[in-house]
Amino acid sequence: MSSAVSKAIFEPLEFRNLTVKNRIFRSNLSGRFDLYDGTGTPARINWEVKFARGGVGAILSAWCGVNLRGRIVPNYASIDGDARIPFWRELGERVHEHDCKFILQLAHAGRQRDIPGFEIAKGLSSTDRPDPLHGFQCERMTRAQIAETVEAFAEGARRAREAGLDGIEIHGANGYVFTQFLSSAINDRDDEYGGSLENRARLLVETVRAVRTRVGDDFHVQVKVSATEYGNALMPWAPKGNTIEDSVQVCRWLEEAGADAIHVSSGNTFPHPDNPAGAFSPADVVGSYDVMLSSGIHTFRNYLLFRTPGVNKLFALRAARRPREIEGKNLPDARAIKQAVSIPVLCTGGFQRASVIGSAIERGDCDAVTIARGLVANNDLVRLFEAGHDEPPNPCTYCNKCLYNVLEHPLGCYDERRFASRKEMIREIMTVFDGR
Amino acid sequence: MIFEALRLGPLTVKNRVLRSSVAGRFDNYDGSGTDTRINWDVKFARGGVGAIISSNAPIDPRGGIVPGYAGVERDDRIPFWRKLGERVHEHDCAYILQIVHAGRERILPGLGEAIGLSSTDKAEPMNGFPCRSMTIAEIGDVVRAFAAAARRAREAGLDGVEVAGANGMLPTQFLSSAINDRHDDYGGSLENRARFAIEIVRAIRAEVGDGFCLGFKLSVRERLNELLPWLPSGNTLTESLRVCRWLEEAGVDYLHISVGGGFPHPRNPAGRFPAADVVKTFDTLLSSGRHTFRNYLAFRTWPLNRVFSWWWERPSRRVGIEGINLPEARAAKQAVSVPVLCTGGFQTASVIANAIERGDCDAVTIARPLVANPELVNLFAEGHDRAPRPCTYCNKCLFNFVENPLGCYEERRYASREEMLAEILSVYRMPERVDA
Repeated sequence: MSSAVSKAIFEPLEFRNLTVKNRIFRSNLSGRFDLYDGTGTPARINWEVKFARGGVGAILSAWCGVNLRGRIVPNYASIDGDARIPFWRELGERVHEHDCKFILQLAHAGRQRDIPGFEIAKGLSSTDRPDPLHGFQCERMTRAQIAETVEAFAEGARRAREAGLDGIEIHGANGYVFTQFLSSAINDRDDEYGGSLENRARLLVETVRAVRTRVGDDFHVQVKVSATEYGNALMPWAPKGNTIEDSVQVCRWLEEAGADAIHVSSGNTFPHPDNPAGAFSPADVVGSYDVMLSSGIHTFRNYLLFRTPGVNKLFALRAARRPREIEGKNLPDARAIKQAVSIPVLCTGGFQRASVIGSAIERGDCDAVTIARGLVANNDLVRLFEAGHDEPPNPCTYCNKCLYNVLEHPLGCYDERRFASRKEMIREIMTVFDGR
Repeated sequence: MIFEALRLGPLTVKNRVLRSSVAGRFDNYDGSGTDTRINWDVKFARGGVGAIISSNAPIDPRGGIVPGYAGVERDDRIPFWRKLGERVHEHDCAYILQIVHAGRERILPGLGEAIGLSSTDKAEPMNGFPCRSMTIAEIGDVVRAFAAAARRAREAGLDGVEVAGANGMLPTQFLSSAINDRHDDYGGSLENRARFAIEIVRAIRAEVGDGFCLGFKLSVRERLNELLPWLPSGNTLTESLRVCRWLEEAGVDYLHISVGGGFPHPRNPAGRFPAADVVKTFDTLLSSGRHTFRNYLAFRTWPLNRVFSWWWERPSRRVGIEGINLPEARAAKQAVSVPVLCTGGFQTASVIANAIERGDCDAVTIARPLVANPELVNLFAEGHDRAPRPCTYCNKCLFNFVENPLGCYEERRYASREEMLAEILSVYRMPERVDA
């Protein structure tokens, strides 16, 4: 590795309220490791410690719900009450042992509840139209519900701070509640939370302000945004949604409202063909999409589509992205935002080569990268970079099987080709339960 | 009668009401136990039952029914069961571990081996769960695994083990004339078909000695033709009574009488087939078996689902639910001299007392009515003949457990839906220890 590349990756990154030892962050990924009600478990701690040990500078946590109605699926540890604080404190302490920071992602699914659970039938959104892909049903948020949501984020942030964590990230990307407000393709309100970009951004900006007020000026607060929504990526007739120009403006407002950093992603749903970009293998999707059949009004249609030869091939052609298009695909968006704001910009999207990461930072496209799949495949990726590898010997193939297995099986790398045998793969996946 | 002590071999139980085996996916994917499992079982111990027959604890990684049930397949599981046993003992309640190998009845096989083990290569007929016929070596391995599991239960300080020989589990798959199609020493005649069960009992007895309670749960009438009318009915009562005598000779301390060569079965748990509720969670099983998609379509399609519900509920309508298995228990009791436990919808003190007085059985085991009223025995002690809000046999507890926490989902039993949610989710909070 050239010394310039190495210097860029291993130089500490200073935010206003936080210093991270290097430029590689573990990006958000979850896994149903916890109890149904949102109580954290030792498996979650084991999972995060794997990455801390592997050398990343900071971990952006799993998708962490701020309240019950905003839950995405059961079995993700939540932060919906003060009783959750001790778990997050323990997790933070275990991660800190490896000189790694821990930033809690505060999230609300809005209508995008993949498995709503038995408690509350309908999600809340900017609109009362179900999402076009799965048909998750929802109710339009009232003013009071909007205020409650903002308050839930402020409380989540306070709890994260009390737990001794290093900061929070407000999940404003990937189709969850803030995207549902931000997006011109989704938001159909005619009050001050809909219509103009300023109005659509109001919920997110108010949330950043409320969080900032609650936690004070000396706690790290960052926001994840989908810079380009690519709303028509699957269905060509669908509206595109927000463009990078819209998002640049939103990021300026976020900076004014008190954000310390922007985390750049893409896509107005999750998953989305462009995030995580990669393969779409119907056989694997069918294996766990079945659990979602009761979640939406179009899920049965989709399941039939995914099972039907020919039709599923067409869908896969539309949804899949070629591996060489993946690494760094959000860098142009990150660059546009970085030029518009003065706070650091993090960028996600298939990173796993030191030279690609190093030159992106050198060029000023972003200040750091965040990695999910590449680190699931190689927990020790940063150590490999330290040892001089440009790319891990056994890289992530972007097969997306980690994603397609997550609803029914433990999160981990499910690309059998990366292991000596299937048995070996399962052994590696199951290590999360005994802390190896 | 109900409050007279009962001897089960070396074990004395304080009364005649035992909690029957109910599981719930409260544990980790890998089979490590959680505090939730402890909270769950302590609920019943506090409610006054004399003994608890545990959740279905797999004796082998391949023998699990679904992921998320605490296992007893490794020595490092012992501390969990010890902790659970101690918490239950605080309430003067005995704890019997139900040790299980599901064979082909794996409703969610999880990672690991894709194909279950059985007496046969023929897939399970209802859902089409695939399997292959066990070799003689594999039979020996499973027999030894049962013995090792019993040893672990004893080392954990539990009060006994019960072999899950009923309800379509692996021993049923050998016992059943409708399932077992072997031509070796383990198939053909009743003696041969019973060999596996007898070897398990002998191996456990040799391992744990005479001082440890050993029970066997048996479906004394298989009635597979009540599941699907074109199936052979399987073992008759006459055949099963011979098996009961052999089990007694082999050293069991009690017999636990159930019915049905598969699970669930119209007579076990007898009651409703709530198709609309079934559809919401049966979807999870679609990738588990060859006929699951067919069944899912039937369950969601009017009028097929009405016909199926009518068919399923027919035996309950014709013979009633509470004490549905008492004639079979009485026959077993006349055939053997060890105590006989009977399961099947019990929730009325007078019905239970009369059954015991008449000599139909020595004690009853209860699952659903205790899920509805964990304090049922305390209510009997206070003089109630029935709980004020009895179990309705709606079977929603059963049909929710794959995706949702086990509990009573009969909304009509609660003042409000909120009360129901609170009650179901209370399992995640440790009960207070003060009233121990």
